[in-house]
Amino acid sequence: MGCSSSLPDRSVGRVGGLNPENGDSDAKNLRVKLVLLGDSGVGKSCIVLRFVRGQFDPTSKVTVGASFLSQTIALQDSTTVKFEIWDTAGQERYAALAPLYYRGAAVGVIVYDITNPDSFHKAQYWVKELQKHGSPDIVLALVGNKADLQEKREVSVQDGMDYAEKNGMFFIETSAKTADNINQLFEEIAKRLPRPTPS
Amino acid sequence: MLESPSSSGYDGEIGSDSSDDDDGIKEVVRDKSDNGDGEEANAELIRGKRRSDEDDASISWRKRKKHFFILSNSGKPIYSRYGDEHKLAGFSATLQAIISFVENGGDRVKLVRAGKHLVVFLVKGPIYLVCISCTEEPYESLRGQLELLYGQMILILTRSIDRCFEKNSKFDMTPLLGGTDSVFSSIIHSFSWNPATFLHAYTCLPLAYPTRQAAGAILQDVADSGVLFAILMCKDKVVSLVGLQKSALHPDDMLLLANFIMSSDSFRTSESFSPICLPRYNTMAFLYAYVQYLDADTYLTLLTTSSQAFFHLKECRIRIETVLSKSNVLNEVQRSLSEGGLRISDLPVDPSARSGSLFHLNQRKPATDSQDRPVDIGGPAGLWHFMYRSIYLDQYVSSEFASPISGPPQQKRLYRAYQRLYASMHDKGVGPHKTQFRRDENYVLLCWVTPDFELYAAFDPLADKAVAIRICNRVCQWIKDVENEIFLVGASPFSW
Repeated sequence: MGCSSSLPDRSVGRVGGLNPENGDSDAKNLRVKLVLLGDSGVGKSCIVLRFVRGQFDPTSKVTVGASFLSQTIALQDSTTVKFEIWDTAGQERYAALAPLYYRGAAVGVIVYDITNPDSFHKAQYWVKELQKHGSPDIVLALVGNKADLQEKREVSVQDGMDYAEKNGMFFIETSAKTADNINQLFEEIAKRLPRPTPS
Repeated sequence: MLESPSSSGYDGEIGSDSSDDDDGIKEVVRDKSDNGDGEEANAELIRGKRRSDEDDASISWRKRKKHFFILSNSGKPIYSRYGDEHKLAGFSATLQAIISFVENGGDRVKLVRAGKHLVVFLVKGPIYLVCISCTEEPYESLRGQLELLYGQMILILTRSIDRCFEKNSKFDMTPLLGGTDSVFSSIIHSFSWNPATFLHAYTCLPLAYPTRQAAGAILQDVADSGVLFAILMCKDKVVSLVGLQKSALHPDDMLLLANFIMSSDSFRTSESFSPICLPRYNTMAFLYAYVQYLDADTYLTLLTTSSQAFFHLKECRIRIETVLSKSNVLNEVQRSLSEGGLRISDLPVDPSARSGSLFHLNQRKPATDSQDRPVDIGGPAGLWHFMYRSIYLDQYVSSEFASPISGPPQQKRLYRAYQRLYASMHDKGVGPHKTQFRRDENYVLLCWVTPDFELYAAFDPLADKAVAIRICNRVCQWIKDVENEIFLVGASPFSW
């Protein structure tokens, strides 16, 4: 944002910055950093809170900076995946800080609102940003949220699917409100993660 | 290729936040108690505090007693307390015209009086702030409120925002403030109940000395590991705070930071890491704030200069939280919150019966029980309320409201009376004064300013002057006796 910190960095340095330590990650128990990006008001926080706490709060709480949550899921092949999730604020003033949160992320989940074409355009901006500046082997998912609002739909399933396919992304439509496809989203991501080769 | 709305930081062109604006949600008048638990149910109502259906042609808009506007020096609206900013473009342009007309004459407009209305202007580089009020608050108070409003904006964006206007004088700032309505409406609301907004001091939650020491010790421990400031607060009151170095945290910055955290609901949901700027510390740079609520009212804020420090701060928080719950600090905080602070009815009348502590077993009853007491009209000798500000600690303490200052209208009237008293005592033209005794139909107000403290006291309008002065001496003595419990002493960064 064109301004530097006012003091030299005195805090205890940590390699990896906002990345979780991968020390306890092994072939059976993965630990991955996931970042959610997208326009404000598309429901990023609602998706995370539905996934992590099984809750849905219809009063929208504008995220400030970024929230950190984690959740572990077990897959059928008896591996577990612990997601360390950065739920970023969608407001424009935080956009310049996004690299802080997506740097080193293994998964990028880009969310738009199916009733809002502008948010779909913004999603495409984030896809390009992650392709350019994210980790080279990042797993990208495109999520059309608010799928329960069919009657207000303005972005077709086909448009979402086509864009995702062209960019080698996984695509899904979800509803944080009804919980539709929320767990599927994270399970599907987990399956697509590159597995560390056992040494 | 898509146009990036954001790749150049604040130089973004496309406003894309319109999707989550809170349209048409009605204003809810928040009173002091509203900041806490009752908020959950009313969250939707409280968040949208402004009437976006109004504009300067609406009668309801014109009737509002106190307007606040932020606009750019090209006349573009940035924020309005009431009404939709975009509909107020014409009105903003008028305000801008008044300011630049005077500036073109090599002068600066401070205020305009129009009948009952006072229009106060504040120019901060390319940002103009205006208050239009018919509340009879003095110019100095309103100007101070505009300064805080500007500070709140800087806390969110830093002063690097000025550069956007250097590059493009027609720059539209409203998208950058998307989602912050509740922050601004909450600071504006605090102008009519929170004495910190004009005393420029903070207040502590009353706690037994060892309890506050225990909290301070663990905060000091993490501060030594590279945290710039560690602040533990319960609502708007400080439990403890420490700083890494001699740098002091200005009380205004604490007010703005606490307001920002309390008015942004997402902090209650999960742990957060967010850039914030402390305007009195460094207006140009962001610090990073780790914020976590430890219970419904108590939140820990760890400030650092490093954008990479999240996991370190998370570990610090876990350590702090463990120590605080083991040493029972969080329970004591909740207990103090429900018991309330100094009560005028507890003012020791007999000097020989003085005690050095508020915390005698079984002596303090929860504040809610106070109705069961015999109805005494205030404290001894008609004392109704007091505020005491310690100059060297940068802290103040005020007594709990009691009959007859019990309802919000009476509290607001007394608050405004204190505000006027403060302004008159600090009037640079005729002051500074040492004492003031003022009697009107509502109160006797007594103010006493020394190099160490300022005391503001309200009495029954029939109170005797000599007795009132004697009671004020007792209040000061009482404060000294219990200062270890009502103030953060010793370990504060201010005394280094």
